[in-house]
Amino acid sequence: MQFIKNILNNLDSLTQKNRFLNKFKPVLLATDEFFFGTPKVTALPHIVDFMDIKRFMSMVIIALLPVTVAAVYFWGLRVLAVILVSYAFGGLVEVAFAIARKKEVHEGFLVTGLIFPLTLPPDVPLWIVAVGTMFGVLFGKEVFGGTGRNIFNPAIVGRVFLSISFPKIMSTHWRIPLVDAVTSATPLSLFKGEGIITSYQDLLLGLNPGCIGETFRLGIIIGGLFLILIKIVDWRLPLAYLVTVAAFPFLSNRIFHTQFAPALFQILSGGLLLGAFFMATDPVTSPFTKPGRWISGILLGILTVLIRGLSGYVEGVMFSILLVNALSPLIDTVVLQVRYRKR
Amino acid sequence: MLRLPKTFKGGYRFKNYTGQAAAILQEAKIPSRVTIPLRQGFSTEVKPLVGIGDKVFAGQIIGRDDSSISSPVHSSVNGVVEGIKKFNYFKREIGMVIIRATDESKEVRRLSGYAAEWWKLSNEQIEELIYLSGISSLDKEGIPTRFKSSIISTSDVKDLIIHGIGSEPYNISLELLLERKNFLHFFDGVKILKRIMPKCKVHLAINAHKRKLVEQLMKLSCELEWLDIYPLEPKFPQGYDEILVPTILGQKFPYGYSAANIGVVVLNIQVVLGVYSAVAEGMPLVERVIALCGPHFKENVHLKVRVGSSLGDIITDRVKQDAPLRIVLNSLLTGFQLNDFSLPVNRTFSQIIAIPENKNRKFLAFLRPGAKRDSYTRAFLGNWLPWIHKHPDTNLHGEERPCISCSFCEEVCPVRIIPHLLSKYVTQGIIDETLMNYEIFNCIECGLCSFVCPSKIPLLKHMREGQEKLIMQGCDRTQCILPYFDVKGIEEYRGVTKL
Repeated sequence: MQFIKNILNNLDSLTQKNRFLNKFKPVLLATDEFFFGTPKVTALPHIVDFMDIKRFMSMVIIALLPVTVAAVYFWGLRVLAVILVSYAFGGLVEVAFAIARKKEVHEGFLVTGLIFPLTLPPDVPLWIVAVGTMFGVLFGKEVFGGTGRNIFNPAIVGRVFLSISFPKIMSTHWRIPLVDAVTSATPLSLFKGEGIITSYQDLLLGLNPGCIGETFRLGIIIGGLFLILIKIVDWRLPLAYLVTVAAFPFLSNRIFHTQFAPALFQILSGGLLLGAFFMATDPVTSPFTKPGRWISGILLGILTVLIRGLSGYVEGVMFSILLVNALSPLIDTVVLQVRYRKR
Repeated sequence: MLRLPKTFKGGYRFKNYTGQAAAILQEAKIPSRVTIPLRQGFSTEVKPLVGIGDKVFAGQIIGRDDSSISSPVHSSVNGVVEGIKKFNYFKREIGMVIIRATDESKEVRRLSGYAAEWWKLSNEQIEELIYLSGISSLDKEGIPTRFKSSIISTSDVKDLIIHGIGSEPYNISLELLLERKNFLHFFDGVKILKRIMPKCKVHLAINAHKRKLVEQLMKLSCELEWLDIYPLEPKFPQGYDEILVPTILGQKFPYGYSAANIGVVVLNIQVVLGVYSAVAEGMPLVERVIALCGPHFKENVHLKVRVGSSLGDIITDRVKQDAPLRIVLNSLLTGFQLNDFSLPVNRTFSQIIAIPENKNRKFLAFLRPGAKRDSYTRAFLGNWLPWIHKHPDTNLHGEERPCISCSFCEEVCPVRIIPHLLSKYVTQGIIDETLMNYEIFNCIECGLCSFVCPSKIPLLKHMREGQEKLIMQGCDRTQCILPYFDVKGIEEYRGVTKL
């Protein structure tokens, strides 16, 4: 502890002398605050909640740990390299903007940097990870003005950018976990192509091909429930999302006789659970009103099932999240107008 | 009559803070010098009736003004008037009478005309006793009498709410206030109030977790059809007028105006006890029971203090001096910070809270399990181990960050406004009717939004800023209230305890 303090003090005195190094002050400040907290006191009210953004974000990271550990077990140590690259290059953009804006470095990036690699295929080349994370942080967040002002979830922006720009790498190179065999089919594409429904138990435990962090669904559910239990994530949106995804194919299969995948398969396949618990619930990009959260959950569910069932893509979670993110301000405005209409 | 526990949407229950005042009553020494403010509680400043050099006795009326809405002020010791000066007291210039005590006797001269068998007194006699004792100046509406002690007349009171909820982090102990014979006195006090406000229905709101007390009250009240008991969840800020009225009466509250506008008077338990002792015992209001709460008091007890004693007299020997501390009056969320120890105690004091002023940085504070930490979220061990005492301090526990729209502030807001949205409007300088549409004037300044914010944004400050700027632009809170309420034009009265 004293050791870190000394290093920071030395660095601090260095930056004060050198004009060029002085520009890196936000980084130093962020590190200092990260380790030692704040000496500031509150004015009124005289006590404030112990929860802060650092704790908030680290709770999300803790909730993602089971999935991450399982990913390393399934796909090998390479996953760690992918995560590292994502943090390093995304962090670079974040820091560059903090320096340019002369503002502090925000903690929101800690979550983006971990969620983004979890949505990539296990064989993804490292340079693509770097490109994706930089694009996501830059165009998903920083151009809007940084944390708290972004419209789209940065991780999703990066992921969508990659799957549109590099479709071959992003959607054909899959691997079967624990076995060194390359395959081209995930459970979703197996269903779309041949109508095969993978065993639910395998899907829960993650024994099928898929993205790095989306296959160990048991871990995702545990992590998501943990976040809901400690009130970091509001339960309304994931619930609405999952219920819609279950109910919509059931109803439309009866009424329109289209062939959507059955409810449980929809929920347990692809990135749905990861998206529902960790990405759609991002407080910044989802509606803040409670009715808005219900609405956006239902919209997400309908869009996901439609894209999965009727479009050329096999997976619809990321597109639907991106679309509904764009709609959230509108949803909020409508909800507010209804709530505050003149009596 | 038994009712299901009622509550309101939003709010937050502060649980198990360390250093709650125990149900022990100690008596403070008679101070050598007292400073009596001429404006205390619900009352305008009264004219002093004494001059320098006059001899006064404990219980003597030294300030009274029958022409304005006010209640008399008493000397709390036997002594000699040393001076009459103006001091800055809770942001107002207030005249004070300084009295040097000449003896240490605890005797207080009784009011004339009191009777232990109070039911034999006439209404006029009762009202006079209540007025002369000064008890009528307490709480946000005062107690109406025929002597201009309140903004409302006794016959206009439709509902009288008496509350002992204790929704603050630190509360005065109900067990102590209502122990043994005090319980019966309290009940008599309620009956006296009903007697002078014959048209009102009395609603008694009690902390639902004090089961024994609730049961006792139920037993006594079942034969009185004008009295209802409401066990309420002690969620902050349930004790506010603005929240009590909708929860108990199901009525909308004219935010920003006094409850008297809709015929409601809200009193707390200590006031009702005071009414009894004024009418049946003839005691003028020269003493106050104050709870000493918080981890930085050596002993967390209740103290009977003479009005006008300086804070230094009470506090200096009773706090731990080894570390920096902050002393707060009445409420950790909205209370005044007490820095000047020469200021006197007045009638409105009920809790004095001492918590550590924590400017220390802590290594990796955000990663610690936090068994002693209190949080709206459940992300700390303390939220899962409710029996462990929570340690409050004044540290900000994090840096100020941009809003992430987590909407915690919206969830806890007791008046259902959206602080983070309004705060964004205010900080970006968009001050127009939108703010009024979003009901910024409904804010009751309870401070919960600032408390829960994980981004440490001073939301309460922004709410106030927004209101002030709106008023400067010519918008007014009356525009939000007057079309919907038949208010009697009674302006809001803010007691000294509220900033």
